[in-house]
Amino acid sequence: MARTKFRAEVLTPEGQVFDDEVEMVSTRTTVGSIGVLANHAPLMAILDPTELRLYKSESDVVRFAQGEGYLQVVDNSALVLVEEAIEPDKLDRSAIESRLKDARDSLEQAEEGSEERNRCERAIRRYEAFLEVGDGS
Amino acid sequence: MATQKDIKSRIASVKNIRKITRAMEMVAAARLRRAEQRIEELRPYAEAIRRMTRRAVEAAESIPSLPLLEEHDSIENVGLLLVTGDRGLAGAFNSQIIRAGNARNRELQQESAQVHWYASGRRGVSSIQFRGLELAAGYTGFTDRPAYADARNIADDLIAHYVDGAVDRVEILYNGYVSPMTQEVRHETLLPLQQAEVLGSEEDGEGASPSDEASDSGEGPDHSRSLWIYEPEPEDILKRLAPDYVEISIYRALLESTASEHGARMTAMRNASENAAELIDNLTLEANRQRQAEITQEIMEVVAGAEGLR
Repeated sequence: MARTKFRAEVLTPEGQVFDDEVEMVSTRTTVGSIGVLANHAPLMAILDPTELRLYKSESDVVRFAQGEGYLQVVDNSALVLVEEAIEPDKLDRSAIESRLKDARDSLEQAEEGSEERNRCERAIRRYEAFLEVGDGS
Repeated sequence: MATQKDIKSRIASVKNIRKITRAMEMVAAARLRRAEQRIEELRPYAEAIRRMTRRAVEAAESIPSLPLLEEHDSIENVGLLLVTGDRGLAGAFNSQIIRAGNARNRELQQESAQVHWYASGRRGVSSIQFRGLELAAGYTGFTDRPAYADARNIADDLIAHYVDGAVDRVEILYNGYVSPMTQEVRHETLLPLQQAEVLGSEEDGEGASPSDEASDSGEGPDHSRSLWIYEPEPEDILKRLAPDYVEISIYRALLESTASEHGARMTAMRNASENAAELIDNLTLEANRQRQAEITQEIMEVVAGAEGLR
């Protein structure tokens, strides 16, 4: 069944990576997984690293590995603002694994409750999510 | 006196150098265009973040305490981030940053603050190490084409050091991109963030950029707060937005520095090519003069020989 389409845009600091009509945007906020359909109520949310899926149709799905960012839905259009949006086949597995290892090593040394520790935890979540996206493709 | 052969070989070597400097000029010009484009590409993202912040500020019942906006009571340790390039041969590009860093260091010492050095780019890192100073953190290998992840990496370090109290203020020195011919040293304070810059006092935001205003009024009908869904609360969204400003500032500085580096290299290499051309002209002239002198000399000898036979 074809759904109503609406505009979705994915913007990163390195430029726009997607701007098209879609049926659904599927991603994850800090609160949980979310699927945005047409005519969604205005929404502002913080996004966690995960797989971002843009459904142009039931079968035509554009996928990205998404870093931290924000989702804003207003006037029936969705704006995904993320630090990184990498196509799954462009993920560099070995580079991600080495960064993940670095982050885990620094986490061991970081003091409890310090900003340094938060930062390592964020990095670990990000790279683990990227690896999962890579595995899925 | 150099012989004709010496001069000819010098001409050949200068010609080779000119080929290299011309090629470097061309490469720098191509990379400069790409770097300019990347500065442009950042703009929509930065503006979207700013608009989102303004909405979150409007929606928040109270502005949460943001450690990145809080000034430390006393300024004892100042982080100084020097943004240089990985490679030289770009005129004054690297040296003017290093010089500005030294000058700032002296100023801060007079205010009895201790400087903690941070540097991006191999030139800055090696200059600091060469002078036997302690490098808090160095970042190399990306100045040709900085990625946002590189900026985030630097920002995360600086933020962690600031919040955890290792430094009380962070300043950045980089080459601002004015035009391919001109770069200017810019000196900015990264941390603490300026309240007006982030939370955008109303008059500040509206006066500064008309484009923001236009898009805001476009979203006008949805302004009533109650209709919006926030995940999580606007206060928490604000907390997450603050570090983004540091990341974006650093990313912009890295991009501008890269564009400046290519611009400076292009100019330096063009000058070098022109100098080489001039040198070739002069040497060719010298070679011709020598050749004529030799011919004259030979004729004199023949004439003198003929005279002697008479």
